[in-house]
Amino acid sequence: MARGFRLSSELIAGVVVGAVIGWGFDRLLSTSPFGLIVFFLLGFVAGVVNVVRSAGVVPRDR
Amino acid sequence: MTLDPIHQFNINNLFKIGQIGDHAIYFTNSSAYMLVAVVLICLLMIGGVAGRQLVPGRVQSMAEVSYEFVAAMVRSNAGAEGMKFFPLVFSLFMFIVVSNVVGIIPYTFTISSHIIVTATLAPLVFFTVLIYGFYKNGVKFFKIFVPSGIPIYILPLVVAIEIISFLSRPLSHSVRLFANMLAGHITLKVFAGFVALLGTSLGAIGWIGGVMPLALTVALTALELLVAFLQAYVFAILTCIYINDAIHPGH
Repeated sequence: MARGFRLSSELIAGVVVGAVIGWGFDRLLSTSPFGLIVFFLLGFVAGVVNVVRSAGVVPRDR
Repeated sequence: MTLDPIHQFNINNLFKIGQIGDHAIYFTNSSAYMLVAVVLICLLMIGGVAGRQLVPGRVQSMAEVSYEFVAAMVRSNAGAEGMKFFPLVFSLFMFIVVSNVVGIIPYTFTISSHIIVTATLAPLVFFTVLIYGFYKNGVKFFKIFVPSGIPIYILPLVVAIEIISFLSRPLSHSVRLFANMLAGHITLKVFAGFVALLGTSLGAIGWIGGVMPLALTVALTALELLVAFLQAYVFAILTCIYINDAIHPGH
């Protein structure tokens, strides 16, 4: 359970941060909805990168 | 008594400390348990070094073991230079581990089951890394966003991903600890609630059947003890890894 939480929180954190950046970008530059779309996808990629890193780089802790 | 698994996380105001603007500042049960954790750590560490014998006693060996454990973790993850941050990592680890273990005792309050607590600790680490990284390396700190050996045409994409990945660290760092403690304590409460629920609704058969959720509650308590240590360990080891990035950017 601990490992599952660890990996899912990594993924969700990436997506949420990407979405927040995209939303702020849209607010500032009024490019809605393109900033949200682009940064949401980037955030998703970053989340996957996080998951891969935390699953592979530090295999000792669960 | 109603079976409300969320009830244990209620914040109660114990007494008023002061006021900022129109907002009253209260000493809550959460503050009380933070104080308990700090007092316990102080007792352990001061009691551990008070005797100072060559053959350590119980308290002294506990203090020594916790020091050795965190020191080895910092050295292996952030290098000898990372020992500068040993006080930070040690404080974080001890605070989380002691408060988590105190929280397992029935009728106590678990501080780290509130996201406001973990979301205060994680940015502390984040800004330590950020400020120390810029102080130590200057502009070279940006190298952590630029992995080496990447073709120039996908570099902007990779840098954007790395930046989002870096910014998501405090979020995942705090959510992980909070979610683990919250979910664990709710599970524990729900299974413990089944015992009373079976007994009161089915009578004698229910009380006999209640043995199973009771056994599960005991097992879950053991698991929670493991999770309490593990999450403190994970929080501390990630702190070390992030600090390592600040000391040696660009891997």
